[in-house]
Order: sequence, then structure tokens, then C-alpha cells
Amino acid sequence: MNAAALDIAQRIRSGETTAASVLAETRAGIEAGDRALNCFTATTFERARSEAAAIDARRSSGESLPPLAGVPYAVKNLFDIAGVTTLAGARVNADNPAAATDAHLVARMHEAGAVLVGALNMDEHAYGFTCENTHYGATRNPHDPARVSGGSSGGSAAAVGAGLVPLSLGSDTSGSIRVPASFCGVFGLKPTYGRLSRTGCFPFVDSLDHVGPLARTVGDLAAAYDALQGRDSRDHACAQRDVEAVGITPLLPAGTRVGILGGWFQDWAGPAARRVVQMAAEALGATQWCELKSAAMARAAAFVITGAEGGALHREKLQARYADFEPASRDRLVAGSLIPATWVIRAQRARKVAYTEALQLFERFDVLLAPAAPDYAPLIGSETFKINGRTVPTRATLGVLAQPISCIGLPVCAAPLWPEPDGVNLPVGVQLIAAPWREDLCLAAAAVLERAEIAYAR
Amino acid sequence: MTDSTDSLRPYVRAALELQGYEFSEEHIAEITLQFARIESIARIILPPAVDAEALPDLGPAPVFRP
Repeated sequence: MNAAALDIAQRIRSGETTAASVLAETRAGIEAGDRALNCFTATTFERARSEAAAIDARRSSGESLPPLAGVPYAVKNLFDIAGVTTLAGARVNADNPAAATDAHLVARMHEAGAVLVGALNMDEHAYGFTCENTHYGATRNPHDPARVSGGSSGGSAAAVGAGLVPLSLGSDTSGSIRVPASFCGVFGLKPTYGRLSRTGCFPFVDSLDHVGPLARTVGDLAAAYDALQGRDSRDHACAQRDVEAVGITPLLPAGTRVGILGGWFQDWAGPAARRVVQMAAEALGATQWCELKSAAMARAAAFVITGAEGGALHREKLQARYADFEPASRDRLVAGSLIPATWVIRAQRARKVAYTEALQLFERFDVLLAPAAPDYAPLIGSETFKINGRTVPTRATLGVLAQPISCIGLPVCAAPLWPEPDGVNLPVGVQLIAAPWREDLCLAAAAVLERAEIAYAR
Repeated sequence: MTDSTDSLRPYVRAALELQGYEFSEEHIAEITLQFARIESIARIILPPAVDAEALPDLGPAPVFRP
């Protein structure tokens, strides 16, 4: 199923089809297609049947339907789903009791009429950029199954990229929506830190954790984002802001100034990543380069804060059940738990410095453009990859272009472009970055690339 | 083991003990490598790479709010 979410909702609204029919088609697609990709760790078809039936009953009774009525979607398996154990990609969570209630955003999607069909694979505890999960298997890239889907929201991106569902939810601590969106060729939105509630999500790094949607079109992404917004006092980080709806056809205001991020964001970009930035810059009419000089500091700060908070969060279970943790990341978690407090304090200060510099950039520009990942998705099992002559560790480095931005909480839309310099059928994403709370500009800039037919899901 | 990891190993061993972990020497060496990787990336925000002016004293580590 490659239909857009909004098209599905419209067809159900008009009576052309029913939510039950859409669900049946989606289920068949998942059962046939997921064997090769390993996106899903659980399906929730009974619940979905009930949600779809409720939508069809509402239509039959003449009720007006909500914006995502009957649209199938799935969530990264760190979102609570009532009746399902929240794995967060970890074997150590497999024996936990099932969640009693839905995560806040799952409840919001239900209110918007969406139909939940399952939970999606991820790197254990969201600590990774490849979605190679030793316990639950690797999620494969829908455009080349020999390659990674990216992570940690790999299941979320691959399921949408493969057309198994038109929408999904993921989380992004240091790039975990943007990197897999880039590799799987879908749009992803990491909103401003604190925009969307994380209540009912398994935490990783509280001071960096974001949640957001992934979709095949900008309109679907915007519709999901609008449905997800709203206050929630149960998440201490959730800003007490009114819903600022962007609508399904976000338009970039005339005179919008787009700056191209150089320095760090070019140094860590390979030829394909540079090419997609060039393509996007041409479509956006961007000619001016700028630099976030503190990007390296922000990346370092993200690394330290992630290690310290993540290591502290899991310390007791690491002591008790070390052998049950993901072999690829458990020693990094232990090492993180040893980070001195003085480093963390300096990291927080570095974060403030980078944030202040970014705000100064937004006096000159409205949107900043950068690659979302250094290169195409690497092959599954790659321990290292080469970027501009440097050989670097894969799992820790794929987020190098995303980390400085999430560290300072800015909203970003990742848009998938297809550079094809040598006939390679693989995407690389760009990041469209705006000032805090200006998700509308990120989405509008992505819509420009979509209308120019250079950013799209295949 | 490099010079860098050699110099970090006593800290890692002591910190692991303080945290209540019990690992073999071989395993401590592996965790030291991971810690050294974090340290190598963190170096840019640690003295003497950054002076006091570059990272002004903002009081207690600020809670981040955009």
C-alpha cells in the first residue's frame, strides 16, 4: 500500500472504501512484506479491527469523521500500547507486564481516527543508528535489503518506506527519526524539544528525547503532526503551548531566507550528501552559506549527555542482567555511566553556547539546510564506514550531522532526496531546520522540495 | 591499548568498582576503550581545549528549554 494517509481518509470519508477494507489490505501487505524486512515486533490487528469498525460505524451514522479516519499506522516499540509489553528494543523488558494504557501520542492518534496495526523494531533502548538488534533481528532497508534501515527508529522508517503503513511514530534523541528517514526515503519530523508529549514512552535521555511522525508525503506528516500536538502536564518537558496547526499544505512565505550550513555539515558529508544539499538549495533558491561554529561542541555535548543519562538510567539492570543487554551497545552504556559530573555540566554549558549561536543565525535566516546523514545507508554488519578519507565507527557516527541540532532542541524536517550520481537507487535526506517552535517553516520548506519533485518516497 | 586508554584505565577500574560493577580485566579493557571514545569526542568541551570564556559559568547545569 503506497497510498497517502490523507487519500485513504478521504476515500473512507467519501464512502469509496471502508476502514475495514483498508485494514484488510494493510494486514495482507504486512503479512506478505514484513518477512523480508522485519519492521514489526508485534501486530495489533484485533485492536485495529475494533478501531476500524468504530470508524465505519461513525460514518454509517452520518458523523463527520476525524482527519486521519481509518488510516493505518504503527509505532516504535518504545510507545506504550495498552495490552502490549513495551520492549524499547530490549530483551530485559520482554518480561515486563503489558502497558495498562496507551502512550499519550497513541491516544492522540486514536482521537484523530487512526488505526494502530502494530509495534516496530528499533535499536535496543534507542542507543544506535542502524536498527541491528541482536534480540529481535535487523530491520532491513526497503530499497536494498542488504543495507541497514537506520536507527534507532528503523522499523518506523522502513515500514513507511516499504509502503506497509502510510504513517508511523518514532523518537529522536540524537537523530533517530532523521537518520532512518534519510536511509529509507521517507519524510520525518523531529519537532522542537518539548513540543510533543513523551508520556508513555520508554525514556532514553530525558533532556534530549523527542518524539515525532514519519510519512511518505509532507501533507501526511503535517496532518499527523497537527493531530499529535497538545498540552500534557504529565511530561515535565512538554511545553504548555496551544496547538499551532500547520495544515496539510504548508506554504513557505515569500521572502523566506534559506541558509546552507557549511563547516561541520560539509566536512562530515560524503559526495551523495553534498549532492542532495545542492539539489535542495537550488529548489529553495538558497545561495548563502553559513556556519554553526559550535556544531562540534554541540555534538560532543550530545554524546556526553547521552552517555551519562542513558548509562545512569540502565545502571541497575546492567549490573543485574548485563548478559541480556545488546552486545553492540552495552559496554558503551556502562562506559557512559562512568562519565564525571563535571563533563556533564560542561556539556550543558556547551549546549547553551550552541543554542545562543543558533538563535543568532536565525536573525539572518529563517530555514537552515544541511544533510541528514553522511552518506547512503551502509551495509548490514558494517563496523566502520569511510567519509571523506576518514574511517569511523558506523553505529556511533551515522548521527554526526543530526546530533548538533537535536542537542539544542531545534525543529527539523528530514526530506528524502535521490542523488543517483551513478544510478544508485538509494535516498539521502536533507535536514530543514528552523528556529524553536517554527515547525511550520520546516514542513513548508519540505513541501517546496516535494513540489519540485526532488523529495519523495519511492 | 594506546597511551590514552592506559591513562584512563585506572579511573575506569575505580569508577566501575564504585558503581558496583564486577568485570574481568579483559572486560575492563573493553569498557576503557569505549570510555576513551567518549573522552576523545568530549575533549572539545573539556579544559584546556575550551577556556572559561568560551563556556561561561552559567551557574548550575541549566535545564534545557528552547
